[in-house]
Amino acid sequence: MIGGIVIRRVLRAMLTMFLVVTFAFFVLRLTGDPVSAMMPDDTDPAIMEQMREDWGLNRPLAEQYVDYWWRLVQGDFGNAFRDGRPALEIVGERIPATLKLTLSGFAFIVLVGFPLGILAAVNRGSPMDRAIMTISVTGFSLPNFFLGILLILIFSVQLRWLPAFGSERWYHLLMPVFTLGTAGAAVIARFVRSSMLEVLNAPYIRAARARGMPERAIVWRVALPNAAIPSITVLGFMVGALISGSIVTETVFAWPGIGRLLIDSVAQRELAIVQTIVMLTALSMVVANLTVDLLYLVIDPRQRYATGTGE
Amino acid sequence: MTPSDKAINPLIIENLCIDLDRSGTRIVDDISLTVRPGEIRGLVGESGSGKSLSCLAALGLLGDGWTLSGSIRLAGAQTPRDIARRRGSDAAMIFQDATASLNPIRCVGHQVSETVRRLRRVSPHEARGIALDLLRRVDIPDPETRYNAYPFQLSGGQNQRVMIALALAGNPKILFADEPTTALDVTIQSQILELLKSIRDDTGMGIVFVSHDLGVIEEICDTVSVMCKGQIVESGSVEEVMRQPKHAYTQNLIAAMPRLAVAKRTSKEVRDASVETQQLLEIKAASCDYRVREGTFRAVSEVSLAVDDTESLAVIGESGSGKSTLGKLILGIEPPAGGEVLFQGQPVPCLGSAEHRTFARSAQLVPQNPYLSLDPRATIGDQIEEPLIIHGIGSDTERRQTRDGLLTDVGLHPDLRSRYPHELSGGQCQRAVIARALCLEPKLLVCDEATASLDVSVQARIIALLRDLQTKFSLSLVFITHDLRLVGELCQSVAVMRGGQLVEHGPTEQVLTYPRHIYTRDLIDAVPERERAVA
Repeated sequence: MIGGIVIRRVLRAMLTMFLVVTFAFFVLRLTGDPVSAMMPDDTDPAIMEQMREDWGLNRPLAEQYVDYWWRLVQGDFGNAFRDGRPALEIVGERIPATLKLTLSGFAFIVLVGFPLGILAAVNRGSPMDRAIMTISVTGFSLPNFFLGILLILIFSVQLRWLPAFGSERWYHLLMPVFTLGTAGAAVIARFVRSSMLEVLNAPYIRAARARGMPERAIVWRVALPNAAIPSITVLGFMVGALISGSIVTETVFAWPGIGRLLIDSVAQRELAIVQTIVMLTALSMVVANLTVDLLYLVIDPRQRYATGTGE
Repeated sequence: MTPSDKAINPLIIENLCIDLDRSGTRIVDDISLTVRPGEIRGLVGESGSGKSLSCLAALGLLGDGWTLSGSIRLAGAQTPRDIARRRGSDAAMIFQDATASLNPIRCVGHQVSETVRRLRRVSPHEARGIALDLLRRVDIPDPETRYNAYPFQLSGGQNQRVMIALALAGNPKILFADEPTTALDVTIQSQILELLKSIRDDTGMGIVFVSHDLGVIEEICDTVSVMCKGQIVESGSVEEVMRQPKHAYTQNLIAAMPRLAVAKRTSKEVRDASVETQQLLEIKAASCDYRVREGTFRAVSEVSLAVDDTESLAVIGESGSGKSTLGKLILGIEPPAGGEVLFQGQPVPCLGSAEHRTFARSAQLVPQNPYLSLDPRATIGDQIEEPLIIHGIGSDTERRQTRDGLLTDVGLHPDLRSRYPHELSGGQCQRAVIARALCLEPKLLVCDEATASLDVSVQARIIALLRDLQTKFSLSLVFITHDLRLVGELCQSVAVMRGGQLVEHGPTEQVLTYPRHIYTRDLIDAVPERERAVA
C-alpha cells in the first residue's frame, strides 16, 4: 500500500518537474538573446546571426522546445555557449559546495530551532522564553544578505577572527551557515514553541502527569513527538528557503556553489546551465516534500491508517 | 480519629481551600473529605462547583496560578514532593475523555507496559506480560491484538478500559475517577461502573468518583459528598442522602434528576390536550448513505415513522445508531438514498435548493452545543433577528419586537440581547438558540441532543421550557437523545434506533413499561437508577 502512495507521488512529482522545465525554457528564451548578451555591442550582425544559426537559436521556439526534450530524455542537458562543456558537468562541479552549505544550514535549523522552541515552551512566560522569542523575531527580521555583510564587518574586518571568503576549511563554513540558517531556525523555534504549548495542554499530558511520569520524559517522549508532526511540514518548506537563501549567501561569501553559478549564468544567458540548475532545484524540492509526506506516515499512525497503509 | 486510622485511609483532606491567584477568587472553600480503603466516595455537583479541581489538588497536579491551604494526606504523603512520588504508584486518576487522555501516536499496549515498567521496575518482557494481564483484567476483548492498537482505533469505552488498566499499573490505594462515564453510551457506562466496582472488590482500593449525575452516583457509590459553589454542603451514605437530603441544594438536585418513572403522568397530560391531529411529517422507508473509503456506509436503513401536528417524538439510540442522520434527513440536510421524507405531504427539498429556503421556515434545528452553534462575535439579539433578515420578514421595528418577545418567551430578559455568547451561561445560550430557531415560527423543531451538554438542573429547566413552548406555539418536536430518562417528561412517542434501523416505535408509556425489543430492554436496564420501576 505504501508503494501505491510513492508511485502516485512520483507521478505528481514528474508533472511538477515537467511544468517547471517548460516554464523555465520559455521564460529564458523570451527574455533575452544569449548572443547579444555575450558579444560586444559593435559585433558584425552577420557574425551574430551565424552564431544563432550554429546554436539553433533562430529556429521556431516550438521546434527548439521539442528538441530540448528529445535531448533531455537521452541525458543530454545541453552545453554551455561559452566553452562548449556539458552543462551537467559544469553544474556538477559546484554541487558539493552547495550541498555542504545547505545541509549544514539545515542541520543548524534543526539543532538550534528545535531546542530553543522546546526550551521556550517548557519555560513559558519566563525571562528565558521572552529572550528566545525576542532573538527569534530579530532572527527572521534580518535579511540574510544584511546579516552576512554584518558578520563579515564584525568578524572579518573588525575582529579579524574569520576569513570573509574561502571554502576549504571547516571554519569557512561558520559565517555562511549562520547567515543561511538563522531565519529558518528562528521560524522553527517559534513554531515548535507554539505546537509544544498546544500539546503540553492536551489531556494526555495531564494524564501522564497523573500517573507520575517524570516531567523530562513527558517533554521528550510524549510531547515532542506529537509536537513534531506539524513542525515537519514547516521543515519541508525550509528546504525551499534554504535553496533561495543559498543563492544570496553564496554571493555574499563568494562561495563556489550553484547559487553563484546561477547568478552568473542568468547574466550571461547560459541557457543550458540555468535550465539544469532550475531542474535540480525543482527536483530537490520535490524530494523534500516527498520525504516530509513519508515522515508523516512514519511518525503519525493516524495518517498511516487514514491513507490505508496500515495493516 | 486515631493516628493509626490516618495511616490506613488512602485520602484525607482537611479544610482544603483553593484560590485562583489571577482574580483572587476562592474556588474551593474549606472542604474536608476522607476516603477509607475500599470505599467509593461520590463527589457530586454542577459544573464549576470545584469537584475536579479538588481531585487535581489532591494529586498535586494544579500547577502554577493556584494557592492551596489546608492539609492533604494522600496515601500517607503530605508534602507536595511526597505526593508527587505517590502519583502513579499509590494514587491514580482517570478522566472523562479517555481517548484524548491517551498519547495519540503510541499503541495502547506500549503505553501500559511502559507505565508498568516504570512503576514496578521490571524488565520489558515482564512488563509486556503484566500489561496484557491488565488489559485482560479490564475486559479488553482480544488483548494480544488490541495491544498494538492506537487510541483512535478503539471506541471510547475501550479507551476508558485502557485508562483504567493504566491506573492499575502501579497497584494504587486510591483512584480518582473524574466523570469517567459521562461521555459514554448508557450500556457502556453500566459496564464501566461494574468494572470499577469489581476492581474495588478485588483490590480494596478507595475511589473518589466525580459525577454530575446522581443516578450514576446512586449506582456505584457507598458514600457521597455534595458540592455546591466550592463547599461540601452535605455528606453521608448514598441511601441517607438520596432518601433524606438535608440541604436545599441537594433537594433541588434530586428533584431535577430525570427519572423514567415520571413518564406516565406527563405524557398523559399532553396527550389529552391533543385531540384531533393531522400528520405533519411522514418518513417512508427512508435510507441514508455516507460515502466512506470502502464504498458507502448505510447510516439509516429503511426507517418509517410519522409525526403528527403538535406531537413530540423521541428518537433514542447510542452513538452511531443513525439518530442524528435521521434528523438530517428530516431537515433536508442529507438527501435520502432510498424511500421518502414527506413534510405536509410534500417531499422535503434538499439543502441549497430554492424550495429548501421556504421549507426551512417550517422546520428548524436546535443542536447540541449552544456555544458552538452561536457566532462568538455577534450579540444574542442580532443572532435571533438574523433568520428574519435572511428571509426578509418584517420591518426593523417589527423584527425588534419579535426578538424581544422571543427572548421573553424562552425565559431570558430582553436586556440580554446585547450580550455575546461568552457572557452567558450554557443554559442561557441554549435558550437563545431555541429563540433563534423559533423566530421563523416553524411547525417542527428537531432537537439533536439539545440538553446533553448541560447540567442536570439546567437540563430540567430546558425540558420544561420546550414543553411550554410546544403548547404555546403548537410545535411538533423530534427530540433526539441518548438519555432515556429525558423522554418521559417530554415526548408522547418513542422511536428506538440501533445500527441505522428502527427497532421499536410506540407510545412512550408502552415502550418504557413494556419494551418489546431486547435492545430497548437493555437500554432501560442500563439506566443508572435503583428505583427505576414505574411507581
